[in-house]
Amino acid sequence: MTHLELENLASDYLEGQLTADRRARVEAHLGECGSCRELMAGVRHALELCHSAEDLEPAPWLISKIMLATVRARKPSRWEQILALVRPVLQPRVAYGLAMAVFSFSIIINAAGIRLSGFHLRDLNPRTWAYQANRNGHLLIGRAEKYYYDLKVVYEIESRLRQIRQQSGSTPQDDTPKRQAPAGGSTDGTAPDNSQLALAGGWSLLRTALE
Amino acid sequence: MEQDPHVVKRCLAGEDSAWEELLRSHSRKVYNLCYRFTGRTSEAEDLTQEVFIKIFQTLRSYDALQGSFSTWLNRVARNHLVDHYRRTRKDRVTSSLDDEAAGVEQKPSPDEHPLARLEARERQELLQAALDRLSPDMREAVVLRDFQDLDYVEIAQVLGVPEGTVKSRINRGRLELARVLKRM
Repeated sequence: MTHLELENLASDYLEGQLTADRRARVEAHLGECGSCRELMAGVRHALELCHSAEDLEPAPWLISKIMLATVRARKPSRWEQILALVRPVLQPRVAYGLAMAVFSFSIIINAAGIRLSGFHLRDLNPRTWAYQANRNGHLLIGRAEKYYYDLKVVYEIESRLRQIRQQSGSTPQDDTPKRQAPAGGSTDGTAPDNSQLALAGGWSLLRTALE
Repeated sequence: MEQDPHVVKRCLAGEDSAWEELLRSHSRKVYNLCYRFTGRTSEAEDLTQEVFIKIFQTLRSYDALQGSFSTWLNRVARNHLVDHYRRTRKDRVTSSLDDEAAGVEQKPSPDEHPLARLEARERQELLQAALDRLSPDMREAVVLRDFQDLDYVEIAQVLGVPEGTVKSRINRGRLELARVLKRM
């Protein structure tokens, strides 16, 4: 056996994959050749070193880093994109702000007299908005004034009625009441009582106020 | 590892947890392959990340009928390492001094004697330095056989060469490694 032949069989010899005949020839050569013996010992040592080498532990953050570069970098689906858009809106602060904005907008729309059901482009004209706002403002003031005067009339009537009741209550009652012509709605010839008188006075006042 | 095809299916269905599972079960092997190939921890980390990004992007092309997931993963990693080697060949010549300084960062065992730990570390550094001096063909064959414990058939699949060539490369690689170690 030559040196080259032995070199070619080195791994098979060390792994025990040679036939008995070949193995015997290799061992015979190794017994005779010092350099081949040294080489074989060197290969055996190298193999021992390789097999004794422990697996190195990768850095603990490596998996997180790879996860970040792969899964997190994946293009999100359409639903995930929609959810990502909606998620900030669902925050309480933003939702409250949005609700206030919608509320304010609805007030402006209402004041501008825009009806969303019959919406036209001309409704967006600022002049229309100003005109409608002015008109609605005047209507509002007019209604408020009317309400105020109506209340005034009602209070006036009430105070007059109270006065009449008090006056009629303080009049001394005679034992024989005088017979008088019926003044209000009484047609039975009997004298009208205080409430009827007060009602009649109230009606006349109301008529005057409305006129 | 037998669960791999099932985990891959879950991965393809969009399950992030399945991808993490796959990553956890194979990252160590890939990292060690990269480290044995480059001899630098920082480079090995970058390469491991690149390999897994590639795996993530091409996972759909994995066919369980063609072989195990582990073999496919090793093949992708090996191709990436070869590409990386070709890309950085010039840089490596200029920074050979840095290679000498790059040490093996191994987690120390608490029971191990400090002196024994130091000796083991020195042996590993020596081995890595010797490995770095092998040609890429021989190095990858030796790493896959003697560090990753793959059999000849699997190595042939990973490297895409006949089994005879694999045997020849491993034998020549071992002889060369022994010679380099002797000179050191």
